[in-house]
Amino acid sequence: MSIPKPPPDHCTILYFAAATSYTKKQYDHLPTPFHVSRLPDVLEERYPGIKSKVLVSCAITVNLDYVDLEEEADKDNDGLLVTAGDEVAVIPPL
Amino acid sequence: MDFDGARGSREVVELRLQIENLESRLATLKTQLAVAEKKDILTKSQDDFVAKPSIKPGTEDSHGALDFTNLKRGTLTEASHSRWPLQNEEYTRYGRQMILPEVGLPGQLRLKDARVLIVGVGGLGCPAAAYLAGAGVGTLGLVDGDTVEISNLHRQIAHSTATVGMSKVDSAIKYLSSLNPLVRYERHPEHLAPSSAIDIFSRYDLVLDCTDRPSSRYLISDAAVLTGKPLVSASALKTEGQLVILNNPPRSPRDPAGGPCYRCVFPKPPPAESVLSCGEGGILGPVVGVMGVLQALEAIEILVAGPIVSDASNGTVEAEPARPTLLMFSANSQPQFRSVRLRSRRKDCAACSSAATISRRSLTSGLLDYQTFCGTVAPVDMLPAESRISAAEFSNLPSDSRGVLIDTRDETQYGICALPGSINVPWTGDAKSWAAKASSLEDVARAHGPAHVVCRLGNDSQLAVKAFQEHTERFEAKDIRGGLRAWREQADPEWPDY
Repeated sequence: MSIPKPPPDHCTILYFAAATSYTKKQYDHLPTPFHVSRLPDVLEERYPGIKSKVLVSCAITVNLDYVDLEEEADKDNDGLLVTAGDEVAVIPPL
Repeated sequence: MDFDGARGSREVVELRLQIENLESRLATLKTQLAVAEKKDILTKSQDDFVAKPSIKPGTEDSHGALDFTNLKRGTLTEASHSRWPLQNEEYTRYGRQMILPEVGLPGQLRLKDARVLIVGVGGLGCPAAAYLAGAGVGTLGLVDGDTVEISNLHRQIAHSTATVGMSKVDSAIKYLSSLNPLVRYERHPEHLAPSSAIDIFSRYDLVLDCTDRPSSRYLISDAAVLTGKPLVSASALKTEGQLVILNNPPRSPRDPAGGPCYRCVFPKPPPAESVLSCGEGGILGPVVGVMGVLQALEAIEILVAGPIVSDASNGTVEAEPARPTLLMFSANSQPQFRSVRLRSRRKDCAACSSAATISRRSLTSGLLDYQTFCGTVAPVDMLPAESRISAAEFSNLPSDSRGVLIDTRDETQYGICALPGSINVPWTGDAKSWAAKASSLEDVARAHGPAHVVCRLGNDSQLAVKAFQEHTERFEAKDIRGGLRAWREQADPEWPDY
């Protein structure tokens, strides 16, 4: 299955492995912008429990580049912003 | 034709032949010299940061470090006696890869000189070992404490129906020896333990993580960092796989230019209850096969490329921090392969940073408990005896006392085999919504007598009975203890054992 382009002002979230099982989806289109460090909270609203059951151990990439959410959170407002058209991947260890 | 042109003078032909022979001998010597020089540089640079292994001489088994030294010496002497650096059979056997400019004679000699350790001889380790043996890696060490089961055979291609029950290490060596008897195979028929990991890793040049659980991934990564070995790590479950090369280049733990380790990428292990084995989650043979084959490819590339002489050692240029890629394979996605760029070493990594807290001593002394770090799942035993019934008892109940039988496995497993009259309500993980769904089904609501709940192994069914008791009016619900596995053992030996 190929992933369609997101609507305007949305990004694509790709789910892999346990994240696919938990969301029962391969992808989501979410409204932007938001700070990448907020990703766990954004997903928790849609999928209660995902933070502690899946996201805690995941690697996150934005546009194919690894992002450390804790490091980004420490930067406050200077942290990486997810904007329209970005592709975020949620990668649990297999 | 050459033959006709050369016929003129026999002397010219003979002289040409002699020159050709001498030139090829010279080329061989130059190659050997280049390989030996590079190896020298590597050994020196490794000695700089790798502490002397704490192995006491004389305590090794037959594959110990002393043996290793003798083997190396032996190879060199053997080569210098012969006109060619490889045996005739080796040119024929490896010719198809040796004629690639990426390999050539120097690459083949490096493969022959290499010692590779494969941890886990299952779905990943079997194809990885087969291709590395085929390629002529000099020494292959195999670590696995399991024995071959018939449920392994759809994906673990080095094992066979005839070796079911045999140790996986011995079964694989049986297969690999018939594939390529020129490789030296070293047996480690045990589960890798923190106490022995450093000792074993020290004897090899490169490590492949072909295991299937988080606790072994962290242990292997830590041991690879502490012994300065590059690590080719792969994993596979269901229809997906991951591949990453860690600790490459294998710089000292304080050097940020070294490649990141598993802890840098995944500092926190997944919650234990979310970890599925291949037996629980399922695995498609070619998916894990493709990942194991890719591991062999990466290992060959690393070995053939030889040691990297970094600019930093010349004191001129500061080496860039290494950032490897994580390759993800997903059989059902489009595209099937995706590759993302990972981070460099984590500044506060417990294993490979200057703030590292994990040491050789913490591994060998058993201070680090990888099971505890990754958590364990205790078997579910949450119901009082009156809410449970054994499979044998249930099978003896008259049909009018059986009430309604609910099977909580997923639709796919239910489709493989189901008890007659059972109703499939897959366990969702959420007690309230599951109970609401189950009790709303007409067959469940209408049924007289208790609801009996069954699953594959008897864990989910207990959770489901509890959900019934807590969230519905239906208090009479009983768990069939031990699930359908117990049903097979106690009531129906012909029940499919999938």
